Amino acid sequence: MLWVDKYRPKTLDKALVHEDVAQNLKKLVTEQDCPHLLFYGPPGSGKKTLIMALLRQIFGPAADKVKVENKAWKIDAGTRTIDVELTTLSSTHHVELNPSDAGFQDRYVVQEIIKEMARNRPIDMKGRKGFKVLVLNEVDKLSKEAQHSLRRTMEKYSASCRLILCSNSSSKVTDAVRSRCLNVRINAPTEEQIAKVLEFIAKKEGLQVPPGFYDRVAAKSNRSLRRAILLFETCRVQQYPFTNNQVIPPMDWEEYISEIASDIMSEQSPKRLFQVRGKLYELLSNCIPPEIVLKRLLSDLLRKLDAELKHEVCHWAAYYEHRMVLGQKAIFHLEAFVAKFMSIYKAFLLATFG
Amino acid sequence: MDIRKWFMKQHDKGNGTASKPVKPEPSPKKPSAGILEPRKPVGQESAGRRKTSKYFDKDLKSVKEAEEVSAKRKAQKGDEDFPYDAKSPPAKKVHKIDDYDDGDDDFVASSSKKKLVDATSSKKLKSGSGRGVPQKTKDIDESDQEKDDDKDTEPPPKSGGRGRGGKSGSMAAAGGRGRGGGGRGGFLNFERKDPPHKGEKEVPEGAPDCLAGLTFVISGTLDSLEREEAEDLIKRHGGRVTGSVSKKTDYLLCDEDIEGRKSARAKELGTPFLTEDGLFDKIRASNISRTTPKKPSDKVPTAVPKKGPQKVETKRNLVLPEDQSGNSSAKSVPSKAVTSGVSTAVQRGQTTEHVSLTWTEKYRPKVPNDIIGNQSIIKQLHDWLSHWDNQFLLNKGKGKKQNDSGVKKAVLLSGTPGIGKTTSAKLVSQMLGYQTIEVNASDNRGKADTKIVNGIGGRTTNSVKELVSNESLSVGDRSKQHKTLLIMDEVDGMSAGDRGGVADLIASIKISKIPIICICNDRYSQKLKSLVNHCLLLNFRKPTKQQMAKRLLQVANAEGLQVNEIALEELAERSNGDMRMALNQLQYMSLSMTVIKYDDIRKRLLSSAKDEDISPFTAVDKLFGVNGGKLRMDERIDLSMSDPDLVPLLIQENYVNYIPSSVGKDDSGIERMNLIARAAESIADGDIINVQIRRFRQWQLSQSGSVSSCIIPAALLHGRREALEQGERNYNRFGGWLGKNSARGKNLRLLEDLHVHVLASLEFSLGRETLRLDYLSILLKQLTEPLRIFSKDEAVKKVVEFMDVYSINQEDFDTIVDLSKFKGRSNPLDGIQPAVKAALTKAYKDGSSSRIIRTADLIPLPGMRKAPKKRIAAILEPTSNELAEEAGDVESEGGEEDPSETEDLEDTVDSAKKIQRDLVSNHARGVQVQVELKGSGNSGGRKTPAGRRKGGSEAAKMAKTGQGSGTAAKRKR
Repeated sequence: MLWVDKYRPKTLDKALVHEDVAQNLKKLVTEQDCPHLLFYGPPGSGKKTLIMALLRQIFGPAADKVKVENKAWKIDAGTRTIDVELTTLSSTHHVELNPSDAGFQDRYVVQEIIKEMARNRPIDMKGRKGFKVLVLNEVDKLSKEAQHSLRRTMEKYSASCRLILCSNSSSKVTDAVRSRCLNVRINAPTEEQIAKVLEFIAKKEGLQVPPGFYDRVAAKSNRSLRRAILLFETCRVQQYPFTNNQVIPPMDWEEYISEIASDIMSEQSPKRLFQVRGKLYELLSNCIPPEIVLKRLLSDLLRKLDAELKHEVCHWAAYYEHRMVLGQKAIFHLEAFVAKFMSIYKAFLLATFG
Repeated sequence: MDIRKWFMKQHDKGNGTASKPVKPEPSPKKPSAGILEPRKPVGQESAGRRKTSKYFDKDLKSVKEAEEVSAKRKAQKGDEDFPYDAKSPPAKKVHKIDDYDDGDDDFVASSSKKKLVDATSSKKLKSGSGRGVPQKTKDIDESDQEKDDDKDTEPPPKSGGRGRGGKSGSMAAAGGRGRGGGGRGGFLNFERKDPPHKGEKEVPEGAPDCLAGLTFVISGTLDSLEREEAEDLIKRHGGRVTGSVSKKTDYLLCDEDIEGRKSARAKELGTPFLTEDGLFDKIRASNISRTTPKKPSDKVPTAVPKKGPQKVETKRNLVLPEDQSGNSSAKSVPSKAVTSGVSTAVQRGQTTEHVSLTWTEKYRPKVPNDIIGNQSIIKQLHDWLSHWDNQFLLNKGKGKKQNDSGVKKAVLLSGTPGIGKTTSAKLVSQMLGYQTIEVNASDNRGKADTKIVNGIGGRTTNSVKELVSNESLSVGDRSKQHKTLLIMDEVDGMSAGDRGGVADLIASIKISKIPIICICNDRYSQKLKSLVNHCLLLNFRKPTKQQMAKRLLQVANAEGLQVNEIALEELAERSNGDMRMALNQLQYMSLSMTVIKYDDIRKRLLSSAKDEDISPFTAVDKLFGVNGGKLRMDERIDLSMSDPDLVPLLIQENYVNYIPSSVGKDDSGIERMNLIARAAESIADGDIINVQIRRFRQWQLSQSGSVSSCIIPAALLHGRREALEQGERNYNRFGGWLGKNSARGKNLRLLEDLHVHVLASLEFSLGRETLRLDYLSILLKQLTEPLRIFSKDEAVKKVVEFMDVYSINQEDFDTIVDLSKFKGRSNPLDGIQPAVKAALTKAYKDGSSSRIIRTADLIPLPGMRKAPKKRIAAILEPTSNELAEEAGDVESEGGEEDPSETEDLEDTVDSAKKIQRDLVSNHARGVQVQVELKGSGNSGGRKTPAGRRKGGSEAAKMAKTGQGSGTAAKRKR
């Protein structure tokens, strides 16, 4: 088993980072009724771990009796019926699902499926909380319509159901939804915290780690604890015992994006744009989400960019990311960004060096 | 009796339309001046001549008979059984009927005309002289009087064709086999350079036929004309343009020697080169001596009727009386009338009488040989039909097995409209003496009232069927000579109203005692899928434009139109092989003009050509072409709307390849880069608009959509195309998005499978994205690195263990590897010995016997049309359990889960299990996997294979699992 799963804290008490948040959550559910919750924070900060621990805290071991289910729903939307397939993870007390999987039909998922789940009260009430919990992942990816449909559900069925929302960014969750929830911000752990966790794992695994290695891994991890642990283990698989100057391998796709970035920086021509398009396609067809590609590409470009241009480039990146959400064919927008960047950068080079 | 009925019907049709014109004599309308003069005398002459001709007929007759017999023999080679004389009785009958219908002697003569006679007569003409054309013109008088039968008025096309060919040597020669117009670009049109002095020279006007008989090949870029303009110019002046150089080529038109294949071949053949200026000079020269060259060109149509006809006419008339006598030995085809077929509009007024008959009816071929193209198909059809009786009736005694031996009882003719399927079916059956019964889409063919079919089966209920059943009974009786044949026209049109039609047709084919010919346009239609297996498939191809032009020329001549062959070829090409459409167009044009020139046809058909489908590639070529900037806005919208889904994709794929012509000097390429950035943004705009259109059904935005996704990028970047990659052909690529998107979809699905499997292991509870972004690298490392580092056994053991922990199966393994592959980077599996891989596979397979539950992937569920997109898996748990269980698992591994087997398992699995899992298959809904951590020791881990073949057993299964554990009842519908 991967360390990241092996050493995942199972209860709120055992949390290694965000201990304060964990304690507050514990108090929240033990002392009083639990409100709707919105967890937000960057990936790898521990949202999901906390949510799972919280569920265990509320429902006890029953929360672990989970079944994975893949169901096709038929939703009657006026004139037509819509087929939606969803994977859900559910126990007797909670249901976890990812409504944004339904793509642009997520609205129907929220309106029909979630509502139906929320409406049904758990039968077995004795000694249990009088509510069930719906865990919705990736709320920030829900369309506006879906989020609007969500807010009524949150109010109407609050007696029997609590929603736990989980998202990377709170800015993409509408205010209406946010105000109905207790917002829990989960910060990305600091590098010191990460190093501490790595040390903890190393001790448990009985590893000999050269000094400073934790810090290097933590620095590479982009302040994502999950990433750090995975990297750590990758290093372990690759080479053990560790050496002080051991290369910490980047993720395959990150490496590929860096390659694209240096392609773009080295030449700005239609031909290069065409090649870059091929590489972007490659990333997308390997299931790398386009937003991640754009973000990563921007940060790689910024690293090499003249300070003068940074502001403008960031602006355009944001502009095209926004449009990417509005659109459907991500590659068009990614390419438009690359073309824009090339045109800006080329003009800059010409102006500077003639 | 029944035949009589049948024919009466036919004649009714004929009379209905033809009776009107009979009465009013040639309309008083003044014939147009040019044609009038030569014609009038001819008409008179022929009237007189007809009488005289009768005297000659005896001599001719003998010759004719001899010829006809030999011809027939040839045609029916291999079909000895077929009795010649068999055909005469029907002929007689026909005569009677004809008499009954119409007392006119002339009519009888014509209608009793046998097909064979017809054929021979035409042959005669051929051999006799090349004057078929005029002869037709003559006969019009007769046909005027005999107009009762529509078909009578048709000319024997062959004779006409050949005659003409003999006459105007150069044209016929050129009209031979040459493939003209090959220069037409089409799909992959690569960009030819613009003419350097485009539009700067004045294009001369020459005498219309100054280039007649000359064949040109255009090569390379001309000085001032676009390739198509040059082609037009040549065609307009009566020249011919072909695609490749051959011996017949007179000139190779080129301004620069591009050393291509054409010029090489031209040199080899000694074909003279001609520059564009040379061509202009040629044309101008004709203009100067306009008066002289004009004459011959005028003469051609006029002179011909004057000269030739007499003789031919006489011959023709000779034939008539003989037929009248009714003793012809050849089989008769009732509707055939050769003589009158040679109708010509000697006078304009007379033609108008024919107008009530469309030319398509009027000039319908009378003998199979007349049909344009597809002769081999017709031969096949003929063979099939002529052997039919032997195959299916005579051999009855031998047993039915005969039928299975590849010989089909019915035939299915397919092909585009207007190329003569129905006609050939009818003609062939007439030739073989069958009576045809045609059932087409206008008849109700549903199963509910499958009268025809029942008729074939021998039951009787209605009139048509009565006829058929009578016939079908008589077929068995060999002494009788009438044979029937069922033509099921437009079988692909059997639709809502004809429920069960096709199935019923098949049933009737099986029991039929008469041959059945089915006709359809699209052989690959879904509806016909089942029918295809029961039929001999004959696919008609489009005739070449030369073939069509020849025939059109006959018709035009017969109708007194002046058209040159080049123009008709153009017409043929524009009508895309549809003879019927070409004829209709020609008839329409004949209403307003008597002389049809190349330009007229071009003008007329250009508008209709617009309707034809324009391929997305052509649209993109045009939009991005050098002249793309000159297109009108509505043209651009039309182009981009020609396929509103595909064109934007093509644009997006190719816009980077164009060097914008709007930018002048651009050494650094910055201007181009800026334009590309703008275009890219506009394309992205188009995508956003497209979302609005599709998702929110804002269809009113569709024009804005195509403006921003196609027109703006094209307007910015139109120009020359360059290839960006080495070795890439400089054509527009197909849009990559579709392929990439589906690859992405597939990978997402695979990833989802992996995700579900990993989730099911309960070690992991994160999202799919996290799995891809963060976990995949390490998963790959964990799965492949040991294979490189450790010794084989150890590595395999380690990897399999790891796979088991995360319930990763082998497909998932492949998924992980696939998703980690990036083009231009090393394959993650590099450096792993094949032997190790094989060992891994084996080890995993071995290990699978100790896993309780295996995945349920890819097993189609009953009641679902396709396997569910996302499938659910199961969980792996190594067990140290009984052999029985293992056996069961192996069983289920094989894909053929046996319910009883697994039910047994339920009992055998011991109760000490900490974890109980249910893998419940949920009928019609997908599969669900239920995993439970059992706090209280319940009895028995149980396994139920998820994939079920039969719905029934599934329900039973569900009951089983339900009773087994309370929690299993949590199943959702």
